[in-house]
Amino acid sequence: MAQILILPKLGQTMEEGAIIKWHKKEGDPVKKGDIVFEIETDKAALEVESFFEGTLLKIVVKEGITVPVNTPVGYVGTPGEKIPDAPPPVPKVEAPKQAAQKVEAKKADAGSPAVQSLSVPVAKAVPAAARVAEVPSRLFISPRAKALVKKCVINPFSIRGSGPDGRIVEKDVQAYLDAQGYGKLKISPAAKKLAAKEGLDILKIKGTGDAGRIMIHDVERAVAEKPKVMSKMRQVIARRLTESFMNIPHFYVSVSVDMTDLMVFRQELKNSGKSYTVTDFILEAVTLSILEFPVVNSYTDGVSVSLRNSVQLGMAVSVPEGLVVPVIRNAETLSMQEIHDVQQVLAGKAREGKLLPDEMTGSTFTVSNMGMLDVDNFNAIINPGESAILAVASTKPVPAVHGGQVKVRQIMKLTLSVDHRVVDGAVGAAFANSVKTKLEDIELWKSLT
Amino acid sequence: MEKFDVTVIGSGPGGYPAAIRAAQLGASVAIIEKEEIGGTCLNWGCIPTKTLIASSELFHRMNHSAALGLSAGKAAFDYTAMSKRKDDVVGKLRSGVGTLLKGNGVKVFNGTGSFAGRNRIAVTGADGKEVVMIETGATIIATGSESTVPGFIPKDSRIVESKAFLALTKLPASLIVLGGGVIGCEFACMAAQLGSKVTVVEMLEDILITLDADVRRELRGSMEKQLGIRVLTGKPLEKIAAGKTVVSGMFGDEKVEAEMMIVAIGRRPVTAGLGLEKAGIEKNKAGFIPVDEYCRTSVATIYAIGDVNGGIQLAHAATSQGVTAAENILGRQRRKAEKLVPSCIFTSPEIGSVGLTEQAAKEKSLNIKVGKFSFAALGKAMASGEDRGFVKWVVDANTDQLLGAHAVGAHATELISEAATAIRAELTAEEIGRTVHCHPTFSEAWMEAAHAAHGACIHAAPRRKNI
Repeated sequence: MAQILILPKLGQTMEEGAIIKWHKKEGDPVKKGDIVFEIETDKAALEVESFFEGTLLKIVVKEGITVPVNTPVGYVGTPGEKIPDAPPPVPKVEAPKQAAQKVEAKKADAGSPAVQSLSVPVAKAVPAAARVAEVPSRLFISPRAKALVKKCVINPFSIRGSGPDGRIVEKDVQAYLDAQGYGKLKISPAAKKLAAKEGLDILKIKGTGDAGRIMIHDVERAVAEKPKVMSKMRQVIARRLTESFMNIPHFYVSVSVDMTDLMVFRQELKNSGKSYTVTDFILEAVTLSILEFPVVNSYTDGVSVSLRNSVQLGMAVSVPEGLVVPVIRNAETLSMQEIHDVQQVLAGKAREGKLLPDEMTGSTFTVSNMGMLDVDNFNAIINPGESAILAVASTKPVPAVHGGQVKVRQIMKLTLSVDHRVVDGAVGAAFANSVKTKLEDIELWKSLT
Repeated sequence: MEKFDVTVIGSGPGGYPAAIRAAQLGASVAIIEKEEIGGTCLNWGCIPTKTLIASSELFHRMNHSAALGLSAGKAAFDYTAMSKRKDDVVGKLRSGVGTLLKGNGVKVFNGTGSFAGRNRIAVTGADGKEVVMIETGATIIATGSESTVPGFIPKDSRIVESKAFLALTKLPASLIVLGGGVIGCEFACMAAQLGSKVTVVEMLEDILITLDADVRRELRGSMEKQLGIRVLTGKPLEKIAAGKTVVSGMFGDEKVEAEMMIVAIGRRPVTAGLGLEKAGIEKNKAGFIPVDEYCRTSVATIYAIGDVNGGIQLAHAATSQGVTAAENILGRQRRKAEKLVPSCIFTSPEIGSVGLTEQAAKEKSLNIKVGKFSFAALGKAMASGEDRGFVKWVVDANTDQLLGAHAVGAHATELISEAATAIRAELTAEEIGRTVHCHPTFSEAWMEAAHAAHGACIHAAPRRKNI
């Protein structure tokens, strides 16, 4: 009996996923632990390993198709074996091209499972992708008009129809062409052909050839600039950031931290065999400060406020396709060494794209560290469901007053963004200074490491 | 001190058109020439060689016209007279260019130009004395290139490069051609047509290596079988020595000997004495003056065109760049130098080539189609008794755009211009196929080859379908 490969549920919140790549072809041998396919959820792209041994007999769900979790996607067995007749559940959506765009747009709009537990009031924002795929469902156009549109390689949607019920007739297309100066347009035959193939409107392409003639490289540029649907992860990032920035009144407060002594201390630790990253110190200092100022570890909808009694510390990690925020669970219960270990594991998984959706949900406060990117200062956008985020800039040698004298010191700027509805300026300032003071207090670190 | 808007250094096929164009656009123009007006192309390159080749080609046909029902008796040639005709043609063209320059009000300075600063150029005569100091707005460097004769080749009157070869009034009975590039192959064919025993030695794996293999095969076969040229490739000629009566060298274990040797293994830019450093102009490692797409050097008011800028070493490329440079200096709208440059090789048979080759497409993994039509199936070629060769289109499989064209056979150097026009205009194979071509002509081959790219050739048997 052939074994069924299913679309795994890789997290509490995962309801569906798209197969983005099959690593095996039908007929390929499959060993236990082989990566058979890759899926993409709202959160990440993940590789799926086989639990079975045999031959990939059939691929049921092709690349680019989104299906609910636990849907059979393929069968593994011995060649010639009979595959169950029962047709697999109908895939939720066909993905190629336009259809995919609509589907993904719709999905993103429906509210990402990622924020489900936080019940953020979601502004009904139209995702960018929807606009890309925005094509009137039906165009009333006569066959002759349609043929002319096709021949001229133009987009008919801006043509006004004068026929019955606004139907576009050949005369309308002709009038449109005249009004747009189509007759004066010069285009090389190869350029026109490519534009037609790519579904571009040549009236929208600027020519750079002799006397403004549209040449092949002009069309190639237009093709390259054509709006493309963003990855699901990018769409979620876009939606959540917009939602946060539009709904949360951000307030910022910056402090300069003198890291000179801590850097020396860190080196000493390293020499004695204990390696900590700067991030470790920051995460620990933040955790300790949150315990003093619980209000920054809260969430408000503008009516009520929920203060969390544990620290779920999110750390923003940049990955090739965007940004992920793995979460250090119950940071307040962890020792400095444990924070270091968990942080290393999560960051590694994030960079390899191996984070599971559950490892990226439920943070209550986030640290965004751009220290390695050589920046003086930046403001971060609060993660929906939280009320503060700390932006960590690079540590740089700058002239600073130290002991009453101007000296070259290692200075790092921290900027705290808070939800002003729940965190007041004074509290924000006190929290930021608390983190600063901790980082500058070497005696504290001596006791913690 | 004399003042000009534009000064051109070098009056070759790049320099003099640049000067004329600049003058047409209203500039005061000076041109500096240290040798002869017209440069290498007119005096020691394109024109004199083609004059000689016209004679050798006709002589060869006279001797091989029995198939056409003709007999020229015992045809003979007089190389001295041929050489004199060459000098006459060159002289006539040279004075023609001089007249054109004068007619356009371009002032010609005889001497060597050398930068004294960014906009000052000293002209010195052959005696080393300064003739004049020019103050100029913009400058176009068009000093061209010269044959490279590396140090390991002995200095001897039996070993010449192309310029010295053209000064000969007697054709050697046997000749070693060192270098199977364009210049080498042209001289080899010319000498062989006149009965000289010719050996071509090329270090690379084949002659004219940048061309497609099928084009090379056609030429090499013809050179070896029709003209009796020995073509040795894949190894260098070593131990080159000049004796009293012969020049010799070792090709592997084999000794190659001839009365004379022509060295045609490359050309280097002429920049010596230009004083580039005084103007702050950069050179690259190979000594060429690098330019941007608008032919500008590292100094904004100084342009470099033609061979000296290390681009395509062809007279017509220099002409195009010269005109572009002049227009960029004086025009309101900046224009980039043309990238599509056809090349022509006056071998027997001739070769014309423009744009993408099949082998380049392969290296770039481009998705192409090829349409080929053989002269053997062409009415006019058969009627003319010139039915060797073919034309070929390289076509973008996605858009049907013509990307490259290659012709080998009679009149290939003339035929290639239609292809260049079509490719520059970004025509598709379908359109060339639909364009009515005169019958019977050689040009019809382009139409047929375009059809062939779609597998719809009229005058070729259909390929067997394997499906």
